[in-house]
Amino acid sequence: MKKTRTPGCLTRKKKKGVYRKLHGCQKLGGDVIGTRWVIMSRWRQSVDELAARHRQQVECQRAQEALSRVTSCFQQLVASLGSSADCSFLRDEMDETRMLAHRICNGLSKRLVRLLSGSDSIPSGAEDRQVSERLWVLLLSVLENFLSDLRKARDLIGQFPLTQRYDRRSLVNTGCMDGVVGVAARVALVQVPWLSLEEEPCPDLTNHIVGLEAMLSDMQLRVPVAFWSVEATQPPWAEARGELDEPDDTLEDMMVVEAVSYNKMVACCQPPCCGLGCVG
Amino acid sequence: MTIRSARPDRGQHFRPRMLCLNKLEVIVVEMQDPKSGVTGSEQKLNVTTIPHVFAGKDIIAWIANKMKTPPEEAHVFGTMLVAFGYIYPLQNHKMLVMCNDTSLYRFQAPYFWPTQKWVADDSDYAIYLAKRNIRKKGMLEPYEQAHYNHLHKWLNHKWDFIVMQATEQYKAGKERKKPDRVVFDCQERAYWILNRPPRRTHSAMDCGPERLIDPNEDEKISFDQYRRKNMFYQQAIMRSKVKSSVSLGALVKYITTYKTHDPFLAPCQPSNPWQTDNDTYWTLNMRGVDVPTKMRVERWSFSLFELLTDLRGRDDFKVFLKKEFSGENLAFWEAAEELKWGTGSSMSAKAETIFKTFLAPGAPRWINIDGRTMGLTVKGLDHPHRYVLEAAQTHVFLLMKKDTFFRYLKSPVYKDIQKKALSPETHNFSPAQLEQNAQNRSPGIHPIILWQQEEEEKAKTAAASAPVDVKAMMSKIDRKK
Repeated sequence: MKKTRTPGCLTRKKKKGVYRKLHGCQKLGGDVIGTRWVIMSRWRQSVDELAARHRQQVECQRAQEALSRVTSCFQQLVASLGSSADCSFLRDEMDETRMLAHRICNGLSKRLVRLLSGSDSIPSGAEDRQVSERLWVLLLSVLENFLSDLRKARDLIGQFPLTQRYDRRSLVNTGCMDGVVGVAARVALVQVPWLSLEEEPCPDLTNHIVGLEAMLSDMQLRVPVAFWSVEATQPPWAEARGELDEPDDTLEDMMVVEAVSYNKMVACCQPPCCGLGCVG
Repeated sequence: MTIRSARPDRGQHFRPRMLCLNKLEVIVVEMQDPKSGVTGSEQKLNVTTIPHVFAGKDIIAWIANKMKTPPEEAHVFGTMLVAFGYIYPLQNHKMLVMCNDTSLYRFQAPYFWPTQKWVADDSDYAIYLAKRNIRKKGMLEPYEQAHYNHLHKWLNHKWDFIVMQATEQYKAGKERKKPDRVVFDCQERAYWILNRPPRRTHSAMDCGPERLIDPNEDEKISFDQYRRKNMFYQQAIMRSKVKSSVSLGALVKYITTYKTHDPFLAPCQPSNPWQTDNDTYWTLNMRGVDVPTKMRVERWSFSLFELLTDLRGRDDFKVFLKKEFSGENLAFWEAAEELKWGTGSSMSAKAETIFKTFLAPGAPRWINIDGRTMGLTVKGLDHPHRYVLEAAQTHVFLLMKKDTFFRYLKSPVYKDIQKKALSPETHNFSPAQLEQNAQNRSPGIHPIILWQQEEEEKAKTAAASAPVDVKAMMSKIDRKK
């Protein structure tokens, strides 16, 4: 029997071997076959459960990535609130993104709570538990990040309501024109397995925030996970080594405006203190 | 403990002293009005043009016009707007000041405004650094690299989330049009320069520790608080007052004497350790140093109090007094200090020794105080408490101040030490050397070693100040004969 990569495969191959043995034993007495059948079925059940758990973890991981994508697009949209790029189209897109995030969050939290609440008949191995805990910590972090963006969105919408036409006068001229179509398209491409299954009505912004806060505290109460025991899988500075499809130095060059000679700057703003640079 | 940062959540979330932010926001919104606001122009870059760029002098002129203030005040107000992050400079983005010329500025997006409620979090900063790392492929500034390593260690449990979110945000940013991307990146960079300023710069967002109470809320003062306030003010009116000319004169005299010694008003010699990370100043001014600095010696001449509180000065004074054979006043003063600051259990023993050494008639080191004070003190010593020697100590202090102190200042001991005193040269560090200093900070002397040194000093002074046995002296002189 060849040793394969994952434990799941190994048990599957073992199962086949046992089948062969069982066929060989059919020539023996009936009661022996009966007990062996019971043991086999329980074993097969555990193997199935392990495989199911593994599948769920992979599903949660993919959902996590999707949620990350949706929340980062949400951040791009919220950053334009109150600026000259703010308009009703932007706010509608923001609501849609929020709804999508809400549905992904709900499904993901339910599945992770089920994975980690330890109500399974088979105790999970240490590695399994570690993977689930990692996913748990990632989910909590994403939720907190999303919650802070939601709060900012609520405050900004409160400060810059676009209900009347003269409200547009108070929008801040930041130099942004509306270019959020690409972002909206990116959000639309996000797919999660349970999106089509569960259709719940989406709450408005304030209720969403309240609901998310309740979910966070509820989750932390129900599942005791020591999140400081989770370790990063990547070494520091690793993300810089990934390939980019286009070299992005042009962005930095673009940001540098026509050079004003440094001497002029120094003469104009002379910091009154001793040699330290002043930020403010 | 929340998952957002490693620091415990004590329920304190309000930053103090930031009430000006609400008022600044109103002004910034007024600046946006297309008719009565500031007029902007377009910024031409290599590939594209970006609207809404403003010249510094236009902004300052608008502020001077709107608030009816002279242009210097408007200039300062403009700098405040930049320092708090409502406007960011496009050229020289690290200097957050507003220049009264054609240098270009742009308004910050409300998402990045420094409102009191939204604190710039460590997790967000980590995501920003990871994003910048991806974009610049590891070429971060040294202070950013230091922050990155620190955050990787302390936010290790959510580092996967940080990298994932950074990659997703980077990709989401790429979906926008080029000019918008440039603007967003500029905005984010300005936001983080403000909230995580580079080394050895100070930022306007520096405020005290976070508070439990929201400073923006109006305070409700209760009836009982008003009643107490009234009582306090009524009593204050009834107190005896000093003429302001007298008290101001004393203040002016104090300032003229001490202004060269204040580290905020005059530069520290050789250099202020808090600014340059070089602790020569502290080593030169330690307690047990042989040759003190000139500034220190000058300070001793200001008053007897200064001389006695500086322990090195006290040692010098003791040397002088030993020559004059009048050390008992200072010894009594020191013994009284020990009684005041010592433990409660040792008080009666100390009081006994003090009485035997200084106050009893015919004592070896009898101090010369007037009869009334002596009577009071001796009576008080029956039931000794901490301040039983207060009257005698004050009398002795005044004696020393009026007589011995001036003789000391004219004595050869003092003149000698004035001549010998060091005058260190001012340090002149380049920025690279300052970085070096910051990285090579020494941990200083271990407190146990300091304590051992102090014990040795005490033993030495105890041996040296043992009462001079007149008979032994006389016998020594006899033997010489």
